[in-house]
Amino acid sequence: MSWLELITRISTNNYLEVERILKSHPYVRDAAKRLRERKMAVIENLDDYVKATMESVSRIGGHAYLAKDKQEAREIVSKILGDKKLVVMSKTNAAYEVNLREFLISQGKEVWETDLGEFLVQITNGWPSHIIVPAVDMNRERAAKAIKAIDPGISENASIEELVAAVRRFLMSKYINADAGITGANAVAADTGAVILVENEGNIRMVTVKPQVHIALAGIDKIVPTLADAFDEAMVQAAYAGLYPPTYVNLTAGPSSTADIEHTRVSPATGPKEFHLVLIDDGRLEASKDPVLKEALLCIRCGRCYFSCPTYRLLGKDWISTKSPYNGPMGVMWNYITNDDPWPSFYCTHSGGCREVCPMGINIPDIISYIKGKGTKQV
Amino acid sequence: MVDESSIKGTLKLIRDVVYKNLTNEYLPFPMDKALATKWAYEAGVPKGGRVILYTSYMYQMAPVFKSFEKLLPTVGSLARIGFLASLGSRLVKPSDAEVKRASTVLKNIYAITRASRPGVGYLYEEEPYSGALLYELGFIDEFKEYGKRLEEFFKIRGVEEIITADPHTTFSLANYKRLIGFSIPFKNYLELPPIGVTGKGRFVIHDSCIYSRFLNMYDLIRQLTKDAGLEIVDDEKVTGRGIGFCCGGPLGPLNSKISDEMAKARANSLKSVNPEALVFCPLCYENLSPYIPVKDFAEVISP
Ligand code: SF4
Repeated sequence: MSWLELITRISTNNYLEVERILKSHPYVRDAAKRLRERKMAVIENLDDYVKATMESVSRIGGHAYLAKDKQEAREIVSKILGDKKLVVMSKTNAAYEVNLREFLISQGKEVWETDLGEFLVQITNGWPSHIIVPAVDMNRERAAKAIKAIDPGISENASIEELVAAVRRFLMSKYINADAGITGANAVAADTGAVILVENEGNIRMVTVKPQVHIALAGIDKIVPTLADAFDEAMVQAAYAGLYPPTYVNLTAGPSSTADIEHTRVSPATGPKEFHLVLIDDGRLEASKDPVLKEALLCIRCGRCYFSCPTYRLLGKDWISTKSPYNGPMGVMWNYITNDDPWPSFYCTHSGGCREVCPMGINIPDIISYIKGKGTKQV
Repeated sequence: MVDESSIKGTLKLIRDVVYKNLTNEYLPFPMDKALATKWAYEAGVPKGGRVILYTSYMYQMAPVFKSFEKLLPTVGSLARIGFLASLGSRLVKPSDAEVKRASTVLKNIYAITRASRPGVGYLYEEEPYSGALLYELGFIDEFKEYGKRLEEFFKIRGVEEIITADPHTTFSLANYKRLIGFSIPFKNYLELPPIGVTGKGRFVIHDSCIYSRFLNMYDLIRQLTKDAGLEIVDDEKVTGRGIGFCCGGPLGPLNSKISDEMAKARANSLKSVNPEALVFCPLCYENLSPYIPVKDFAEVISP
């Protein structure tokens, strides 16, 4: 099956599935509307919310950092890790954005992606094709070939279930022995310092709980005012990604703790003894002050606009390629915000489908048009 | 990966040649105006007037706009040696069959317009280009500048209402209104009462992205076609508002290969719904017609 046939099938299925979800759970649309307002309030006062979030994280016994750019983010994580060797990661675009995995590997660490799709991308030295389904361009045959490299016992004719089980076996030993777990964040609540993560595989549970150190990486655009908003974001993101209900929603607010003896809260308990939140600016603060670009910061990374986009459906990951983990219409905006690169915008045909399907009602075509305008000024 | 240097080259040509030509001549490049206005002479459309039908040469020159990418380097090199103005009609010329087809379409659009705007006129050789290309390629400041000149141009000629014939021109005026407060009222011909419009045939609609998702005409177009007696086959997976696909046209000036692939992909999905497609835009027609039988709404109806 060609890329175009595959992505057309996936796109139409996703479109219809999200429509079905929204019809059967109308409260999701209400939550999306509410969330847009709450996120906009943060964007309008991003500096203050960053400060409040960092204070909240400290209050719950965690450590918070603000990285102004990619290099600073890498350095902060590297310092936290020190001489820890084995690192497990859950799918995080922020880590891709700052090129963290490659950097840690170059420092001699053993680093494993644990999301199945991301794991396949890693072991094939590939690049994610989609923010929610990174290995969307990989069929069973190619996956089997790739997995055989880490599990020679696997036949190239193995079923999808057998392939998943092989990866599970392989990663289990990594979870058990990992020194640190690195995740992203779907939302970070400013009032509590809590991080919310949505998933289906269960790998994030392992990554956030099993190693003794949990590092969460998040763009400052992921900050929402309260924990209630963070749960809204989890719900809306999962629904618009077409995976509803999500199998798991994880909440992490500081290191593990217990108050079982004399009702005195002590830390750590069973889970990690350290919790670190690395907030990443990387162009976001500047974008929040731009009257047009700021709307792009509302994006909750549901990935739905990819499927509505003719250019993405034709070019796939080649559109923005390894310049950025973000692709499709949102990728045009985010590649500009984080890399100051306007050129992919010129392949946008202004079909307008992205705006129709975006849960945050982002006027994506207008923003892309604005980015094109930035490009024309450079010729 | 996007071809950055080719994009930059094209943009430079647009700015240095097309924008300059627009500023001087109100046209992106020299055109054969006799061919472009022939339909109006044949239909006996009054010259000028308070209400005008504004074609912006889109139907007449669609075949040329489609091959813009191939055309640009030639236009650019001729402009560099100061030869552009003398180029006249030789370079930019649609075929006889294309001229004939555009003529049928425009005469029908004129008839629909005249039914509710008796006395509607046309600017003939004076008609300016809308500037759509500037907006679509990101020359927003230049687009705004051009829009101000355009408004002035129409006002000097006493134009009080503009009826547009295609989505790109309509969208340009809508953008001028939004960006610079363009004050002359305008309407697309599809928004006029379809007095006596009838037609026949069974089609799958290929929506113009601009009409359906930017000008909110998705439902109106379906209603209009059904009221005219056309049989429309819709399939949510192919023609749904949020999943509709572009014909590839806007990419033409920058990358004709991707533009063609997009057209082909769109045509194939349309074919899975119905063998023949119905379009509402001259650029959609140009892009899709090599891959699927296509008709423009204005050529399957009789007003
Ligand atoms: S821009 Fe909108 S549709 Fe696209 S990923 Fe972000 S929230 Fe989802």
